Amino acid sequence: MNIIVCIKQTFDTEAKIVLDGNGKIDPNGVNLIINPYDEYAIEEGIRLKEKFGGDVTIVTMGGPRAQEAVRTALAMGADKGVVVNDPILEGTDEWANAEILAKAVAQLPYDIILSGRIAIDDGASQISVRLAEALNIPSVTSVLKLEVAGTQVTATREIDGGTETIEVALPAVFTAQKGLNEPRYPSVAGIMKAKKKPLKSMAVADLGLAAGDLASKMSVQKYTLPTARQAGQKIPGDAPQAAKELARLLHEEAKVL
Amino acid sequence: MEEIKSVSLEMKDYIVSSGAETLSWCMQCGLCTNLCPWRLVPGEVSEAFNIRKMQRLGQLGLEGFEDEEILFACATCGMCQSNCPRKVEIINNVRSMRNTTVGAGFLPAHLRPIAGSIHANGNPWSGEKEKRAEWQEGLDIPAFSEDTEYLLYVCCTSCYDTRSKKIAKSIVSLLKEAGVSFGVLTAEENCCGETIRKLGDEELFQKLAESNIKLFNSKGVKKIITTSPHCLYAFKKDYPDYGGEYEVVHYSEVLSKLMKEGKLTFKGEVGKKVTFHDPCYLGRHNEVYDAPRELIQAIPGVEFVELERNKSKSLCCAGGGGRVWAEVPMGQRFGELRITDAVEKQADVLVTACPYCILMLDDACAGLEKNDVLEVMEMSELLCSASKP
Repeated sequence: MNIIVCIKQTFDTEAKIVLDGNGKIDPNGVNLIINPYDEYAIEEGIRLKEKFGGDVTIVTMGGPRAQEAVRTALAMGADKGVVVNDPILEGTDEWANAEILAKAVAQLPYDIILSGRIAIDDGASQISVRLAEALNIPSVTSVLKLEVAGTQVTATREIDGGTETIEVALPAVFTAQKGLNEPRYPSVAGIMKAKKKPLKSMAVADLGLAAGDLASKMSVQKYTLPTARQAGQKIPGDAPQAAKELARLLHEEAKVL
Repeated sequence: MEEIKSVSLEMKDYIVSSGAETLSWCMQCGLCTNLCPWRLVPGEVSEAFNIRKMQRLGQLGLEGFEDEEILFACATCGMCQSNCPRKVEIINNVRSMRNTTVGAGFLPAHLRPIAGSIHANGNPWSGEKEKRAEWQEGLDIPAFSEDTEYLLYVCCTSCYDTRSKKIAKSIVSLLKEAGVSFGVLTAEENCCGETIRKLGDEELFQKLAESNIKLFNSKGVKKIITTSPHCLYAFKKDYPDYGGEYEVVHYSEVLSKLMKEGKLTFKGEVGKKVTFHDPCYLGRHNEVYDAPRELIQAIPGVEFVELERNKSKSLCCAGGGGRVWAEVPMGQRFGELRITDAVEKQADVLVTACPYCILMLDDACAGLEKNDVLEVMEMSELLCSASKP
């Protein structure tokens, strides 16, 4: 089985977001991690390989540090990596990113394509579905359970207040929701092996695309940080008295009661 | 029967290249395992973790040492290391074995937010960087300058944890009373990195050490007083390799010296039976045993009693080596044994001198419901309570 897992390197969940002088998000000094939802996709890909044989190929786009994310996935048990690393990626939108990713994936043999259901940084949740469109194959999002029998897949996906079970034929794209599996920790042997696994780096031009093909359809106008939370208020006095005062404040000042 | 595993020289080399230089010195006598505090508690980790076996797996390049409950079990208390007949640097080996996975980007899930917070905020407690010095408001603490003798470096725990802030405040008050020339650079400091280094994140440790050394050197710091024995360890033993050479002391050392010179006296009476828990990083790791005892015994009215396991044989609270962030079920915590030790001596107060020990012992005391008979205090708090008549 040819398994592709598309991953994204994102800011650490603990990272502090600051805007630079141009109003852009400043990535300097920020710790980067694999998007946590993509970790479920990697794990699922490795499990499929363990069950059905084949290869897991990790595909990502991003700057020089993106290689670290791929090495991590290789240490978990993936077999090879492809990184599209190009300065043009700094200005591309979701549509262009999906086009680039589709070209990169199309060069590889694939039966199943996996990724996380959302990236925790921009939360756009667009790439995987657009990728499926560009490749002209079906996609199932927010998957909690994946059962493969031959070329038929039964996928259980999360919907509002319940689950939905979908049958679909491969090749197809699936996006992972939390609960699909528990990502593994690699063995030290796995980490050592990962250093020798093939990792291919390519530019957008290597995919037969030119800057002109990738003009954004969408442009970000402005980033704003959430307004800082106001300081709390401590109400003195004994409990019954303080509770009374709290009720008064909630009613008269906060107007929530 | 256990499955047959093959030895891997390559893996052994990888572990050694991560820093476990004395791994091959180990002759497998097993004294380490017998002295290990994990032998004193039941449970899954205790059954899985055997420090002698872990060294052996490393020597042979055998898989298995990297299972999470084995790799991250050691509290780096140093009981094994200080008694090892071959002087194997066991803790350094543990740190290096952790680095083989952590250095490749794999930290156990419960430790990821810790490392993330250190990256983003310069402290492991998810406290905002801007609020590091907030506890100092209204205390009138001078900023460190070329004219001040000591830099007072306050542990992240005591900058952010509500309980622990009291320690920082008490130490400030005692230093002022003793007329010590000191100042702070708290707002600009980062975590000392002692614990994250023990967890195997060498890269993050280096980042912290370099930023602190740059700050200290730019301000002309020569002497440092630490509030925590862990910071003491980092500055004394880790920083010199990165160009940070300072005269570093724990606050207890400064205070006991000043007391002997008559610059610090205790006028208040504390009519209680007091005992002392030697923090591993103050005692075994830095060999400061007398200073805290001298100070406690100088308080009028104190009846000092030693715990059965004391000084170099002190039992770890389980807070070192990153274990302060481990979830351990009641019944398996070293701290409980320590509370029981103190209760057996019928002590009213269990004093210690480390913010991690305080967290662990406070938890254990509450968990065992012994708060009615035993009070856990940081030494500076006890000294403060006795500084005024």
